[in-house]
Amino acid sequence: MYAYIVKRLALVFLVMSGVTVITFGAMYLAPGDPAEIIATARYGQDLTPGQIEWVRSTEHLDDPVYIQYLTWLNHIIRLDLGRSLITFDDVAEEIAVRFPTTLTLALASLILSLCIGIPVGIISALHKNAFLDYTTTSIALLGVSMPNFWLGLILIWFFSLYLRVLPSFGSGGISHLILPAVTLGASMAAITMRLMRSSMLDVMGQEYIATARAKGLDKRTVLFRHALKNALLPVITFSGLQLGFLLGGTVIVETIFAWPGIGKLLVDSIYARDYSMIQGCVLLIGLLFAITNLAIDLLYASIDPRIRYDRHD
Amino acid sequence: MDWLQTYLNPKTVIIAFTMAILASAVIIAGCTDAGQTGPSEQVLTIGMSTDVPLWQNSNFPGGDGRFVWSQIYETLVRVDTDLNIEPGLATSWDTPDDGKTWFFYLRDGVIFHDGTPLNADAVVYSYNENSYVRAQGALQTIASVEAVDDLTVKFVMKRPQPLPLYLTHVAWPVVSPTCVDSNGNFIKPIGTGPYAFESHTKAQQVVLTKNENYWGTAPTLDMVIFKVIPEASTRVMALETGEVDMIIKVPESDCIRLENTPGITVSRKVSTFTDFLQFNTKTSPFDDIRVRKAVAYAIDTEEMSETILEGIGIAARGRPYSPVMLYSNPDLALYSQDPAKSRQLLEEAGWTLSGTDTIRKKDGRELKVSILVGRGVWAARHIQMAEAAQSYLSDVGMGLEVKVLEDGALNQLESAGDFGMILRSGYFVWGPYPRHFWLHSSQYPNSHYQNEEYDRIATAADTTGDETRQKELYYQLQDMVIEDLPAFYLIHEEKIVATNDHIQGYTITSEDPWLNLAGITVR
Repeated sequence: MYAYIVKRLALVFLVMSGVTVITFGAMYLAPGDPAEIIATARYGQDLTPGQIEWVRSTEHLDDPVYIQYLTWLNHIIRLDLGRSLITFDDVAEEIAVRFPTTLTLALASLILSLCIGIPVGIISALHKNAFLDYTTTSIALLGVSMPNFWLGLILIWFFSLYLRVLPSFGSGGISHLILPAVTLGASMAAITMRLMRSSMLDVMGQEYIATARAKGLDKRTVLFRHALKNALLPVITFSGLQLGFLLGGTVIVETIFAWPGIGKLLVDSIYARDYSMIQGCVLLIGLLFAITNLAIDLLYASIDPRIRYDRHD
Repeated sequence: MDWLQTYLNPKTVIIAFTMAILASAVIIAGCTDAGQTGPSEQVLTIGMSTDVPLWQNSNFPGGDGRFVWSQIYETLVRVDTDLNIEPGLATSWDTPDDGKTWFFYLRDGVIFHDGTPLNADAVVYSYNENSYVRAQGALQTIASVEAVDDLTVKFVMKRPQPLPLYLTHVAWPVVSPTCVDSNGNFIKPIGTGPYAFESHTKAQQVVLTKNENYWGTAPTLDMVIFKVIPEASTRVMALETGEVDMIIKVPESDCIRLENTPGITVSRKVSTFTDFLQFNTKTSPFDDIRVRKAVAYAIDTEEMSETILEGIGIAARGRPYSPVMLYSNPDLALYSQDPAKSRQLLEEAGWTLSGTDTIRKKDGRELKVSILVGRGVWAARHIQMAEAAQSYLSDVGMGLEVKVLEDGALNQLESAGDFGMILRSGYFVWGPYPRHFWLHSSQYPNSHYQNEEYDRIATAADTTGDETRQKELYYQLQDMVIEDLPAFYLIHEEKIVATNDHIQGYTITSEDPWLNLAGITVR
C-alpha cells in the first residue's frame, strides 16, 4: 500500500512539472503580441507604440523565454504568484479570496448530485423497466439535456422573479447558494443516477450475486453488502473527475449568478490577457485535478483490494 | 460499507428526502434578505456589468469602473447632462497664448473626503508625470504642471491644445495626495465627489456613502451600492425583482420589453458613441475609394437601426460624429442606400459579375472580404450588425466573411493588416470633443489610412485656440470622412438605463462613462 501511495505521489509531482511548462508555454502560443494586449487591456484602445514598448520592458517580456520561465518557476516555488498585470493585485491573494466560493459551490452541487443520483439510481435499477424506472430515467434524460445557462435563467425567473423566495445573484448566505448549486447539480445528478443504475444492473447480473442469493442471504444483504460496493466504483471515478472540473470553476454558472469564483476570474483574465493571473489559476486547477485524482486512487484502493495488491499497477 | 447497509434502504431514503426538502424550505423562508439599513435611509443599489479594476490614477479604469469613479472623483472641468461645458473643481480658466499655457482657478473651500483641502498642490499631484494620462494617455502633450498660488494651477503644453475639453474625462480626475501613504503605497480612493468610498468586495460590490461636506448641491442618497452582475439577463431580472434599483448598459434586445413592464422606467439618450466600419484602405479591394463607396451605398443604416436595434439608436448614414457632439455638422451630406449605384461603382472598379455568379470577380479573383467583430461589450449588437452588412453586400455581389474574435486575436489580425473591415464603436471618445478624428490620422498605428491633407487638418484642428476656426476645421474633416471614407459610420448609440419605481428623479446623461445620481430619491 505504501509503495502504491509513493508511486502515486511521484506521479502527481511529474504531472505538476508538466503543468508548469504547459501553463507557461501556452501563453506564448496564443494569438497576439503579449505586450500590445496587456497595453490594450490596461489603457484601452487609445494606444501609442511607446506605451507598448513601455509595457514590454517593465514586464520583462523582452527577456528570452527560458529566462522568463525560470524566473517564474523560482517565484512560484516560493508561492509567489506575482501581481496581476492589469490591476496590480497580488495573484495568490486574489485566488485565496476566490477559491473558497468556488469550493463551496463545488461541494454543494456534488453533495446534491450524489444525494439524488445514488439513491434514485439504485431504486431505478431495482425497479428495472417498471413505471418508476421509466419516470426516473426520463427525468434524468431531461436533466442531462438542459444546458446550464438555460436552466440557471429559468430557475432565476421562477424562484427569484415569480416566487420571489431566492436571490437572483451574488454570494452570501445559504439562500444565495441554492440556485447555482441546483443548476450545477442537476445535470451531474442525472449522470450519476444513470451511471449508478447501469452499474448496479451490471453487478446484479454477476454470478457471485446469484451465488450469494443461492446460499440463502436475504435480498437486502446481497444488495448492500455485495452489489453496491462494487457498483459504486464507476460512480466514484465519475464524481471525482466532476469535482476536479467543478473546482476549476464553472464559468457559465458563475457568470449567470454573479458568483465570484475561480472560473469567472480565469476567463476574465484570459480575455484581458492577464498572464500572471491566468498562470496562477491554471496552476491551482492543475494541482486540484492531481490531488482529486490521487484521492480517487486511494479511495479505490481502499474499496477494491485488487488494486491495492497489484504490484504491476 | 456496513453503514451503507444500515442507512441506505428505501424507507430512510424517503425520510431523508422529505427532511431535505423541509430543511431547504425553512432556509429559504429565513434567508429572504432583510436589508442592511434602516427604513428611513436613502440607499440606491445599482447593477453593473464589471468590477472596478483599480482605483489609482496610474492606470485607466476599464469596463464599468468609470461609473463608480465618477461618484468619488471629480474633474476640473465638467459637462452637464447635455454635454455643455461647465465649471467643475475649477471655477474658471484662461489661456494667455492661444492654448500653449493654461491657468485654472480652483474653487475655494472644497475639501477631499478625508478633510484634506483641495488646492493647487493636489492638482499638481493628480497630473504628475506618473499619472496615466501624462505617462501613457492622451495628455503626453503636457510639459509641466505648476502651482502658481494656493488656488491657481498653470499647465504648460508642448503644443497648443484645447486642454479644458480634455480635462472633462472622468478617468483623469483630481485625486487627493493622501490616497497614498508616505512610501507611495495606495491606501484607498479619496476624492471630492458627492459620494465617498466605503468598501470594495472584489467581484461583488462597491459601497459608497454620502459626502456630508460636498461643495455642490447636497447629495440626496445616504448610501450607493454598486453590485457586479456580469450576465445581462440576470441584471435585468435583478432589477425586476427589486434586488437592484437601477441597471446601466441595458441590452437593446431587453429595452422594449422593459419599457412595457409596469414598475420599470427606461431612460434613453443619444450618447457620444457611434458604431462604424473601419476599412483597411492599404490593401485591395478597399484601397479603391469606389469599392468603399459601394459599401456605403449598399448598406441601409436606417433599416438596420429600425429592425436589428428595435428603433434604439440613430442611423448615422456615414456621419462620423454623434449629433450630440461638439462640432458635429448637422447639415452634412449623408449617404442613402442605393444598390444600383453600389453595383455601378463596383463595375467601374473592375469587379464584374459573369454568368450565374453571385460574387463579383476581377482578374479571376473573387470579391471576398473579412469583417472583424470583437467579442467585447458591444458583441451582441455588433454581431447582428455584421450579419446584416453581410446580407446587404451579398446583394451587390460582395462576399463578406464575419469573424467574431476575442481582442488578442483581433489585434493580431489588425496589426498584420489581414482584414477587410473592422466593426467598432466609440474609440477615443469621451465628453463632447471630437478627438475621435485622430483615429484616421496616419500618425495613429491603427488608422489603416494615409491622407496627408487629412493629417494636416486634424493636427491644425487640435492645436488651434480659436473656436470658430476649430469648428471650420472639424467641419472640413467630416466632409473628408464622408468623401474619402476611411470608415463608414453606421449607428449613433443610445445609452439605456433602467430604474424601478423605488427611484425618482433620475436624469440620464449623454456622456457615456458618467452616471448622474444628482437629485435621485429612493422610496
